[in-house]
Amino acid sequence: MYGAVRSGDPVPTSPLQVGLDDVTIRDVMATLEDPLVLGALVVVAGLFLGLFVGRLVRRLLRRAGVPETVEGTSFERTVQGFGTSTVSLVSVFSMALVIGASILVALAIADVRYTAAFWRGVVIVFVPRLLVAIFVLAVGTVAGDKVELVVSDRLKGVKLPEITLLPTFAKYSIFYIAALIALGQVGVATSALLVLLSAYLFGVVFVGGLAFKDLLTSGAAGVYLLLSQPYSIGDEVAIDDQEGIVQELTVFVTRIESDDAEYIVPNRRVLETGVVRKRR
Amino acid sequence: MTDIREAVEHITADIDAVAVFSPSASEYERYADVDNRVDVLVIAQENAVSADQFIELPLDFEDVRDGIRFGVEGAMDRGYLDDGDTIACVVSMFSADLDSVTRLRVSESIRTGVYDLFVDSRAEADVIRDVLELVIELGKKGQKGEPVGALFVVGDAGKVMNKSRPLSYNPFEKSHVHVGDSIVNVMLKEFSRLDGAFVISDAGKIVSAYRYLEPSAEGIDIPKGLGTRHMAAAAITRDTNSVAVVLSESDGLVRAFKGGELVLELDPEAY
Repeated sequence: MYGAVRSGDPVPTSPLQVGLDDVTIRDVMATLEDPLVLGALVVVAGLFLGLFVGRLVRRLLRRAGVPETVEGTSFERTVQGFGTSTVSLVSVFSMALVIGASILVALAIADVRYTAAFWRGVVIVFVPRLLVAIFVLAVGTVAGDKVELVVSDRLKGVKLPEITLLPTFAKYSIFYIAALIALGQVGVATSALLVLLSAYLFGVVFVGGLAFKDLLTSGAAGVYLLLSQPYSIGDEVAIDDQEGIVQELTVFVTRIESDDAEYIVPNRRVLETGVVRKRR
Repeated sequence: MTDIREAVEHITADIDAVAVFSPSASEYERYADVDNRVDVLVIAQENAVSADQFIELPLDFEDVRDGIRFGVEGAMDRGYLDDGDTIACVVSMFSADLDSVTRLRVSESIRTGVYDLFVDSRAEADVIRDVLELVIELGKKGQKGEPVGALFVVGDAGKVMNKSRPLSYNPFEKSHVHVGDSIVNVMLKEFSRLDGAFVISDAGKIVSAYRYLEPSAEGIDIPKGLGTRHMAAAAITRDTNSVAVVLSESDGLVRAFKGGELVLELDPEAY
């Protein structure tokens, strides 16, 4: 098919063949030695292996509870619009990967000369990368959708219209990173996009850190207070000028109640100004 | 001969609202478009049918009357029902489906404070529910088959701690366990053989065990025949803003006190 094919070299005789019908065995060995036949055999074996791997992947994914996890994500819904599911898509994908690899091996065995350079460039280097890119995109879409669902579920108790922006942000951040990885795999220049990503990350970390500064310091102080418990519920304390009985101690705040007021003191104040414990 | 429907018509005649308890979606649909003049209230553990007027039940009351009381009190509190309204309650008595209709006149006298106990207490409703469930569980199982008594004081822990003294070392010192943690159910059963009260904070943290409560019991009026444990529970809830849940060692009932009064009585065996 693909140009010049080496004809069978003479097969060395092994001691076992002595006394047997030399001609037929030699014929069989010769056919087996024929690169085309061997290639076809490899393809057939690859086909079976691919089917097996596809089955195995499907079963493993089912066992791992992937169908329940991806349920409701928009990727799953889109895929189901095409009459398939994420799990079967991934299993078919891995099956195709194995079969494709076996075809490659077969081509190498059959020693296809003319197209070799082309194949080496495209198939060996590019196709696996493309496959990885597609895989990354699929995983990224599912993960982004899932993160959106989880975040919005967490924020369900907060009845604030603007809060719906947050899950969307989380989703598109993940999409963006997945797309970046995929493009990087295929070899598209992504440095501009990378700059954008780093600017975005810097913004999130820096502005977020600035915004959550008080909360973070209070949280760190709260961890110390919870672990060492310099005062506990029921103690009479004074923090700054706020005096009363400790009612509750959480990671972020300490609730102190006096006869006429309840103070909610951020824990960082406790470490900054110290605590006075009243002796009883 | 009268049709059975005419015979029972008086139950639903001239009602202002219908209270449906834990309906399924199809059951709710049936009541939702009965009549424009009749309000439809849904009283359930969660608002699965997205009803406009909804009262959340904190636990699956075994006694239907407790559930109805809770629902009606909640509806009065929220302004869904007023004094003098007549309502029909659709409840499930024996099966899981709705199988009974009862007619009820809403009045202030129906108020026992059971709704107030959960919703308007200092402690969070979830915490009170967790403690009640725990005590019910304790009452059902007992300690190695023997009936046990227990006293839990929930909420306003700072004041409660100041109105009590330790009987022994506090096993919960420097620990961060909350009621509702699965480990606690196992642990508390062991601790329940200890004497004294458990103190639980507003957010559900177990502050202390082995507390001897020292409120002044003057003028506390609880049903005669209840022992010192109940007396202490009632008194501490009057002196502080806490709620007390008691498991009686003698009759095995679970009782909840608030503001010095008995507001809820449950039989653990029924759950």
